[in-house]
Amino acid sequence: MQLRIPNRLEDVFLALERAEGALDRPDVDSACRADVRLVLEELLVNTVRHGYPDGRPGNIEIHLEVTTDVVRLELRDDALPFDPLDQDPPELTGDIARRDIGGLGLHLARNIASDIHYARDAHGNRVVILFDPSAEPTP
Amino acid sequence: MTLIIRSESPTPARSTVWLEGRLDAATFGSFDEALRDVTPMVDNGGTLIVDLSALDYISSAGLRSLAQLRKQMHDRDGRTLLLNPQPQVKKVFDIVKAVPVAEVFASVAELDQYLDHMQRQITG
Repeated sequence: MQLRIPNRLEDVFLALERAEGALDRPDVDSACRADVRLVLEELLVNTVRHGYPDGRPGNIEIHLEVTTDVVRLELRDDALPFDPLDQDPPELTGDIARRDIGGLGLHLARNIASDIHYARDAHGNRVVILFDPSAEPTP
Repeated sequence: MTLIIRSESPTPARSTVWLEGRLDAATFGSFDEALRDVTPMVDNGGTLIVDLSALDYISSAGLRSLAQLRKQMHDRDGRTLLLNPQPQVKKVFDIVKAVPVAEVFASVAELDQYLDHMQRQITG
Protein backbone atom coordinates (compact mmCIF):
# COMPACT_ATOMS: atom_id res chain seq x y z
CA MET A 1 0.00 0.00 0.00
CA GLN A 2 1.35 3.42 -0.92
CA LEU A 3 -0.40 6.65 -0.02
CA ARG A 4 0.33 10.32 0.02
CA ILE A 5 -1.89 12.45 2.24
CA PRO A 6 -2.09 16.14 3.16
CA ASN A 7 -1.25 17.07 6.76
CA ARG A 8 -4.85 17.04 7.99
CA LEU A 9 -6.39 14.94 10.75
CA GLU A 10 -9.31 13.69 8.62
CA ASP A 11 -6.83 12.38 6.04
CA VAL A 12 -4.87 10.63 8.79
CA PHE A 13 -7.97 8.64 9.69
CA LEU A 14 -8.69 7.79 6.05
CA ALA A 15 -5.11 6.49 5.85
CA LEU A 16 -5.66 4.37 8.99
CA GLU A 17 -8.70 2.75 7.35
CA ARG A 18 -6.71 2.04 4.19
CA ALA A 19 -3.85 0.52 6.18
CA GLU A 20 -6.21 -1.66 8.16
CA GLY A 21 -7.75 -2.85 4.90
CA ALA A 22 -4.33 -3.72 3.48
CA LEU A 23 -3.57 -5.79 6.60
CA ASP A 24 -6.85 -7.70 6.47
CA ARG A 25 -5.32 -10.99 5.30
CA PRO A 26 -4.96 -14.42 6.87
CA ASP A 27 -1.20 -14.23 7.49
CA VAL A 28 -1.48 -11.04 9.56
CA ASP A 29 -2.73 -11.58 13.11
CA SER A 30 -5.46 -9.24 14.37
CA ALA A 31 -3.16 -8.09 17.21
CA CYS A 32 -0.57 -6.98 14.64
CA ARG A 33 -3.26 -5.14 12.69
CA ALA A 34 -4.21 -3.23 15.85
CA ASP A 35 -0.53 -2.53 16.63
CA VAL A 36 0.07 -1.02 13.18
CA ARG A 37 -3.06 1.09 13.50
CA LEU A 38 -1.96 2.40 16.90
CA VAL A 39 1.60 3.26 15.85
CA LEU A 40 0.30 4.92 12.68
CA GLU A 41 -2.27 6.93 14.62
CA GLU A 42 0.21 8.09 17.25
CA LEU A 43 2.95 9.08 14.79
CA LEU A 44 0.71 10.67 12.14
CA VAL A 45 -1.44 12.61 14.64
CA ASN A 46 1.76 13.85 16.26
CA THR A 47 3.19 14.96 12.89
CA VAL A 48 -0.02 16.74 11.87
CA ARG A 49 -0.42 18.48 15.27
CA HIS A 50 3.18 19.53 15.90
CA GLY A 51 5.10 19.19 12.64
CA TYR A 52 3.77 22.26 10.86
CA PRO A 53 3.50 25.03 13.46
CA ASP A 54 3.42 27.71 10.75
CA GLY A 55 0.23 26.19 9.33
CA ARG A 56 1.68 25.48 5.88
CA PRO A 57 0.25 22.60 3.84
CA GLY A 58 2.43 19.52 3.96
CA ASN A 59 2.69 16.02 2.55
CA ILE A 60 2.96 12.71 4.33
CA GLU A 61 3.80 9.50 2.52
CA ILE A 62 2.83 6.13 3.91
CA HIS A 63 4.27 2.95 2.54
CA LEU A 64 3.09 -0.36 4.00
CA GLU A 65 4.61 -3.65 2.90
CA VAL A 66 3.53 -7.06 4.13
CA THR A 67 5.51 -10.27 3.81
CA THR A 68 5.08 -13.50 5.75
CA ASP A 69 7.89 -12.56 8.17
CA VAL A 70 7.48 -8.85 8.67
CA VAL A 71 5.17 -5.90 8.28
CA ARG A 72 7.21 -2.89 7.24
CA LEU A 73 5.81 0.62 7.58
CA GLU A 74 7.64 3.60 6.18
CA LEU A 75 6.58 7.18 6.85
CA ARG A 76 8.04 10.23 5.13
CA ASP A 77 7.02 13.81 5.72
CA ASP A 78 8.17 17.36 5.04
CA ALA A 79 7.48 18.55 8.60
CA LEU A 80 9.94 20.02 11.11
CA PRO A 81 12.78 17.63 11.98
CA PHE A 82 11.45 15.19 14.56
CA ASP A 83 13.03 11.98 15.80
CA PRO A 84 10.40 9.90 17.65
CA LEU A 85 13.20 7.91 19.30
CA ASP A 86 14.95 10.95 20.73
CA GLN A 87 12.23 11.89 23.23
CA ASP A 88 12.27 11.47 26.97
CA PRO A 89 9.96 8.71 28.17
CA PRO A 90 6.94 10.04 30.08
CA GLU A 91 6.69 9.74 33.84
CA LEU A 92 4.76 6.50 34.33
CA THR A 93 4.60 6.18 38.08
CA GLY A 94 1.42 6.93 39.96
CA ASP A 95 -2.05 7.73 38.80
CA ILE A 96 -2.43 8.94 35.22
CA ALA A 97 -5.10 11.43 36.33
CA ARG A 98 -2.59 13.18 38.56
CA ARG A 99 0.32 13.53 36.21
CA ASP A 100 1.22 15.21 32.98
CA ILE A 101 0.10 12.83 30.28
CA GLY A 102 2.05 14.24 27.35
CA GLY A 103 4.39 11.94 25.48
CA LEU A 104 2.16 8.91 26.03
CA GLY A 105 1.50 8.37 22.33
CA LEU A 106 5.18 8.15 21.39
CA HIS A 107 5.85 5.94 24.38
CA LEU A 108 3.12 3.58 23.18
CA ALA A 109 4.45 3.59 19.62
CA ARG A 110 8.00 2.80 20.74
CA ASN A 111 6.83 -0.05 22.97
CA ILE A 112 4.53 -1.66 20.45
CA ALA A 113 6.73 -1.68 17.34
CA SER A 114 9.33 -4.45 17.02
CA ASP A 115 11.82 -1.95 15.66
CA ILE A 116 11.91 1.77 14.74
CA HIS A 117 14.54 3.62 12.69
CA TYR A 118 14.70 7.32 12.11
CA ALA A 119 16.61 9.30 9.50
CA ARG A 120 16.41 12.78 8.08
CA ASP A 121 17.44 13.62 4.53
CA ALA A 122 16.91 16.43 2.03
CA HIS A 123 13.25 15.40 1.63
CA GLY A 124 12.43 15.48 5.33
CA ASN A 125 11.79 12.95 8.08
CA ARG A 126 11.84 9.24 7.37
CA VAL A 127 10.71 6.66 9.93
CA VAL A 128 10.76 2.91 9.29
CA ILE A 129 8.82 0.70 11.69
CA LEU A 130 8.79 -3.10 11.74
CA PHE A 131 6.11 -5.39 13.18
CA ASP A 132 5.78 -9.11 13.67
CA PRO A 133 2.73 -10.27 11.66
CA SER A 134 2.30 -13.55 13.54
CA ALA A 135 0.24 -14.10 16.66
CA GLU A 136 2.11 -13.09 19.79
CA PRO A 137 3.07 -15.89 22.15
CA THR A 138 0.82 -15.84 25.19
CA PRO A 139 2.87 -15.04 28.30
CA MET B 1 -16.84 1.71 12.82
CA THR B 2 -16.19 4.60 15.15
CA LEU B 3 -17.49 4.93 18.71
CA ILE B 4 -20.92 4.15 20.18
CA ILE B 5 -21.67 5.34 23.73
CA ARG B 6 -24.61 4.17 25.84
CA SER B 7 -25.24 5.01 29.46
CA GLU B 8 -27.63 4.09 32.23
CA SER B 9 -28.05 5.58 35.70
CA PRO B 10 -30.31 3.23 37.67
CA THR B 11 -29.46 4.87 41.00
CA PRO B 12 -27.88 8.23 41.80
CA ALA B 13 -24.94 6.42 43.32
CA ARG B 14 -24.12 4.28 40.31
CA SER B 15 -23.96 4.81 36.56
CA THR B 16 -22.70 2.58 33.79
CA VAL B 17 -21.30 3.67 30.46
CA TRP B 18 -20.84 1.15 27.63
CA LEU B 19 -18.30 1.88 24.93
CA GLU B 20 -18.28 0.15 21.58
CA GLY B 21 -15.77 0.62 18.76
CA ARG B 22 -12.71 2.85 18.97
CA LEU B 23 -11.72 5.52 21.47
CA ASP B 24 -9.06 7.49 19.60
CA ALA B 25 -8.04 10.93 18.31
CA ALA B 26 -11.11 10.93 16.03
CA THR B 27 -13.72 9.98 18.67
CA PHE B 28 -12.51 11.23 22.06
CA GLY B 29 -14.43 14.51 21.60
CA SER B 30 -17.80 12.75 21.44
CA PHE B 31 -16.81 10.63 24.43
CA ASP B 32 -15.90 13.73 26.49
CA GLU B 33 -19.18 15.36 25.47
CA ALA B 34 -21.32 12.32 26.34
CA LEU B 35 -19.64 11.96 29.72
CA ARG B 36 -20.32 15.59 30.58
CA ASP B 37 -23.99 14.55 30.83
CA VAL B 38 -23.31 11.37 32.80
CA THR B 39 -20.89 12.42 35.53
CA PRO B 40 -23.35 14.91 37.15
CA MET B 41 -25.84 11.99 37.48
CA VAL B 42 -23.45 10.26 39.83
CA ASP B 43 -23.81 11.65 43.34
CA ASN B 44 -20.73 12.82 45.14
CA GLY B 45 -19.02 9.66 46.30
CA GLY B 46 -20.77 7.53 43.68
CA THR B 47 -19.42 4.97 41.26
CA LEU B 48 -19.09 5.22 37.51
CA ILE B 49 -18.58 1.92 35.71
CA VAL B 50 -17.09 2.04 32.24
CA ASP B 51 -17.86 -1.24 30.48
CA LEU B 52 -15.10 -1.88 27.92
CA SER B 53 -16.34 -5.30 26.72
CA ALA B 54 -17.08 -3.99 23.22
CA LEU B 55 -14.30 -1.42 22.97
CA ASP B 56 -11.93 -2.79 20.32
CA TYR B 57 -9.27 -0.13 20.35
CA ILE B 58 -7.83 2.73 22.38
CA SER B 59 -5.00 5.15 21.62
CA SER B 60 -3.26 7.81 23.72
CA ALA B 61 -6.06 10.29 22.93
CA GLY B 62 -8.56 7.86 24.45
CA LEU B 63 -6.34 7.27 27.48
CA ARG B 64 -6.24 11.01 28.04
CA SER B 65 -10.05 11.15 28.06
CA LEU B 66 -10.33 8.23 30.48
CA ALA B 67 -7.75 9.90 32.73
CA GLN B 68 -9.71 13.16 32.74
CA LEU B 69 -12.89 11.26 33.51
CA ARG B 70 -11.25 9.52 36.47
CA LYS B 71 -9.98 12.88 37.70
CA GLN B 72 -13.46 14.45 37.46
CA MET B 73 -14.94 11.55 39.42
CA HIS B 74 -12.11 11.69 41.90
CA ASP B 75 -12.72 15.40 42.45
CA ARG B 76 -16.33 14.50 43.42
CA ASP B 77 -15.00 11.81 45.77
CA GLY B 78 -16.31 9.25 43.32
CA ARG B 79 -14.76 6.23 41.69
CA THR B 80 -14.34 5.09 38.13
CA LEU B 81 -14.16 1.35 37.63
CA LEU B 82 -13.23 -0.22 34.31
CA LEU B 83 -14.86 -3.46 33.28
CA ASN B 84 -13.60 -6.20 30.99
CA PRO B 85 -10.95 -4.54 28.76
CA GLN B 86 -10.29 -6.47 25.53
CA PRO B 87 -6.78 -7.50 24.39
CA GLN B 88 -5.70 -4.30 22.59
CA VAL B 89 -7.07 -2.06 25.35
CA LYS B 90 -5.53 -4.21 28.06
CA LYS B 91 -2.18 -4.14 26.27
CA VAL B 92 -2.23 -0.33 26.09
CA PHE B 93 -3.20 -0.06 29.78
CA ASP B 94 -0.32 -2.38 30.65
CA ILE B 95 2.27 -0.42 28.64
CA VAL B 96 1.44 2.98 30.08
CA LYS B 97 0.41 1.62 33.50
CA ALA B 98 -2.53 3.96 33.02
CA VAL B 99 -4.93 2.51 35.52
CA PRO B 100 -4.43 1.13 39.00
CA VAL B 101 -4.96 -2.63 38.70
CA ALA B 102 -7.46 -2.52 41.57
CA GLU B 103 -9.83 -0.49 39.41
CA VAL B 104 -10.00 -2.90 36.47
CA PHE B 105 -12.33 -5.90 36.62
CA ALA B 106 -12.48 -8.85 34.29
CA SER B 107 -16.18 -9.59 34.71
CA VAL B 108 -19.46 -8.22 36.05
CA ALA B 109 -19.41 -10.90 38.79
CA GLU B 110 -15.98 -9.74 39.96
CA LEU B 111 -17.12 -6.12 39.92
CA ASP B 112 -20.35 -6.88 41.86
CA GLN B 113 -18.35 -8.77 44.44
CA TYR B 114 -16.06 -5.76 44.89
CA LEU B 115 -18.98 -3.31 45.15
CA ASP B 116 -20.78 -5.59 47.67
CA HIS B 117 -17.61 -5.72 49.70
CA MET B 118 -17.28 -1.91 49.63
CA GLN B 119 -20.96 -1.58 50.58
CA ARG B 120 -20.51 -3.91 53.55
CA GLN B 121 -17.50 -1.90 54.66
CA ILE B 122 -19.60 1.27 54.63
CA THR B 123 -22.71 -0.17 56.30
CA GLY B 124 -21.07 -2.84 58.45
